[in-house]
Amino acid sequence: METRSRITILLIVIAIFFNCQSENESPSFGKLIFEFGHQINGVDVRYDQLIYENAAGNVYEITNIQWFMSDITLVNKNGNEFLLEGDDWIHYIDTDIPETQIWEIDQDIPTGEYVSIRFTFGIKGEKNIPNRFTDPPESNMLWPYHMGGDEGGYHYMKLNGFWRSLNLERTPFNFHIGVGQIYNDQGEVIEFVQNWFEKEIPSSSFSMPAEKTVRIAFKMNIENWFKNPHEYDHNQYGGKIMNNQEAMGKIKDNGIDVFSVVFLNDGENI
Amino acid sequence: MMGRIFRNSGLRSQKNVFGSYWEQLLLISVIFYSCNTEDPAPIQEGPTPFVFPEVQHFPTELNIPEQNPMTVEGIELGRYLFYDGRLSGRTHPDSLMSCATCHIQSTGFETSLDHPKFKDGHPFGLPTENYPEGKPTPHYTMHLINLVYNPNGYLWNGMIHESNDRIGPEGYDFMGDDHLNFKYLESLVWMGIVAEHEMAGSIEKTVNLIGSIPMYKSMFKAAYGTEEVNIDRISKAIAQFVRTIVANRFKFYRYVRREVELTPAEFRGYELFFSEDGDCFHCHAGSLLMTTNEYFNNAKDTVFNDPRDRFAVTGDLMNKGAYKAPSLINCEINGPYMHDGRFKTLDEVIDFYSEGLVYSDYVDPLMKYVKENGVQMTEEEKADLKAFLLTLTDHELLTDPQYSCPDELGDFGIQDIGNPY
Repeated sequence: METRSRITILLIVIAIFFNCQSENESPSFGKLIFEFGHQINGVDVRYDQLIYENAAGNVYEITNIQWFMSDITLVNKNGNEFLLEGDDWIHYIDTDIPETQIWEIDQDIPTGEYVSIRFTFGIKGEKNIPNRFTDPPESNMLWPYHMGGDEGGYHYMKLNGFWRSLNLERTPFNFHIGVGQIYNDQGEVIEFVQNWFEKEIPSSSFSMPAEKTVRIAFKMNIENWFKNPHEYDHNQYGGKIMNNQEAMGKIKDNGIDVFSVVFLNDGENI
Repeated sequence: MMGRIFRNSGLRSQKNVFGSYWEQLLLISVIFYSCNTEDPAPIQEGPTPFVFPEVQHFPTELNIPEQNPMTVEGIELGRYLFYDGRLSGRTHPDSLMSCATCHIQSTGFETSLDHPKFKDGHPFGLPTENYPEGKPTPHYTMHLINLVYNPNGYLWNGMIHESNDRIGPEGYDFMGDDHLNFKYLESLVWMGIVAEHEMAGSIEKTVNLIGSIPMYKSMFKAAYGTEEVNIDRISKAIAQFVRTIVANRFKFYRYVRREVELTPAEFRGYELFFSEDGDCFHCHAGSLLMTTNEYFNNAKDTVFNDPRDRFAVTGDLMNKGAYKAPSLINCEINGPYMHDGRFKTLDEVIDFYSEGLVYSDYVDPLMKYVKENGVQMTEEEKADLKAFLLTLTDHELLTDPQYSCPDELGDFGIQDIGNPY
C-alpha cells in the first residue's frame, strides 16, 4: 500500500513535470526574412537603361546601389522594442551582390503583434568609426577621414548612374551620401554634419506567428530620393556631392518617403 | 578518439555499479584510465599548421581554400618551386622558367619596365614551334602581393574565381583530389606550365622532372606525408607560398597607425587621393590594401575588342573594357601600368587621370570626370599626389629573405634581376 502510494505520487509528479515542461517548450518565436528590392515608380529597376525621369525632369539611369541600414527595430503594441541582431548590427545591401539582398535574421523573433518597423538609414555617428570594416564589400564603403572625422567612417549610400545633362550628353553621377562638412572661407572644414536619419516605415504592422517565417519585401523607391520635399536636379549638383552638404541635406530630407515594406506572407512553416 | 570512447563507457557504467565493490573499482580504474589518456600532449604528426598572422586594418577573411590548409613545410616547398626554373619541365639554361621569371621580388613581384629580357616589361613564353621568339602574354603582369586578402577573382579580368566551373584542357588531369580548374590561386600554376605564352610545357614533364630531383623527396614528404609528386601538390605548395606574401610595411600604413608623419606634400597628396577632387579612393581604397578588388572601365578607350576583359567573364555588356583596379601598394615600382602596359611611368598614369580620359558607353559612372577628360590637376597637385603614392612602397618586402630565392637551387634558381629603381 505504501509502495503503491509512493508510485502514485511519483507518477503525479512526473505528469506535472512533463505538463509544465510542455508548456515551457511551447513555441513562442518565429523567424523573419527581409528581401530587399529597388524600384522606380513601383517597378523593379531596369539597370543601365537611360529610361527614367525624375521630378526635376532629369532623364537618368541607375548602374548600381550600395547602402547601409542599422538599428533595425520591431516595435510591439505595448511599445516594447526588439532590436534585430543587436545594437552593433549594420546591414549592407548591394545591387551587384545578390546574397546581400536577402537577409535571413538569425534571431528568434518573439511572437505577437508588431505595430511598426523602424531603422536608421546609414550609420549613426558613434558607430560609424573609421576602419570599423576591414573586409569587403563593406570596407569599400569608406568615407575619407578628412571629410567625415571620427564619426564618419563610411558612406551611407552610393547610388551610381548617369543622367542626360543640359548639353544632352549621358553624364555620370555619384549620388553618394554620408557625413557632410561645413567649410569656412578658406575652404577648411569647421564642422561635420551627421546625415543619417531614423525612419519608421508606414504600414509596417504585422503579426509574428509561432514557428513560422514571415517574409518582408523591403523596398527603396528611388524616384523619391529626387522628389519630396525637394526637387533634386542633377544639373544643379553635378556628378559629385560628397563635399556638398546642401545636396546631401536635401537627400536626407527626401528620405522621408523612400522606404516601404510589403508583407509577402502571413508566415510560412519554418 | 579512444579517450572519448573510454569516457563514455565510464559515464554509462556509473548508473549500474554502485552496489558492487569490484564494479566500482573497475569504474574508477576506467575513469582514471580515461582521464589519463587525455593528459599527454598530442603527438604532432605531419606538417606544422601555419597560423596566418592578423594584420591590423587588413581584411580578416582569408582566401584559403579548405582543401589546401597552409603549413610551414608546404610554404617552404612552395618557395623553392616558385623560384625553381625546372618548373618548366626542362633543364637547359635557356629553357628554365618559373613564377619568379616574371614575378620579381625586388620589383614587388611584378616584371618591371627595365627587365633585361622582357622589353618594356612585357613577358613572353618559352620558344615553341609556333612562336620561336616566344608568345607574348595577352596582358601585362599583375603583382603577387596580398592575394590572400582578395576574394574577388584573380587576373585582370577576375576569371580565376570559385564560381568558375570551367574545366581545363582535355588530356590533363590532376593526380590529386582536385580537378583541373580555374577556381583558385592554385589554378594559375598548371595554367602557367601549359600556357604557350608562359612555360609552354606539359604537366607530365614538370611533374616527372620535379619528382626526379632528390632534394624534393624529403620536402614533399614533409609537406604532404609522402614523397609523391603531382601537379596538385606542386600547385598547392606554390599557392601557399604566394599567400604568405603580405605587403603592409609602407609609410602610409604606418601613418594610419600613427607611427610616422607624412611630409606636407605627402599629406596634400593624401587628401587629394581621398577626395572628390582627386577621387582615386572609390576604386583604390576600402581597407588599406589600396584596392577594392573590383572591376572598372576606367575610360582608357572608345573601342573594345580584348577577348579577355571583364565582359568575357560576366557577359555583362557594361563590363566591356573593364579590368581589375590593382592595389596601388608598390605602384612606384610596378610599371608598366594598366592591363596592356600602355603607361610606362607613374607620371603618365597621373596625367591620364588628370586629362586623358575618354568617354564610351561602357565607362564606369565612378569616372565622373570623364566629360572633362579627367580631374584636371595642377602641376603642384600632380606632384603632391605622386608624393603620396610613393608612401605606398613596401621597401622591406623587396628584399625580405622569407620571400627570396633559396640558395640551394643553385643554377636552377631564378635569380632576382635587382631593383632598377
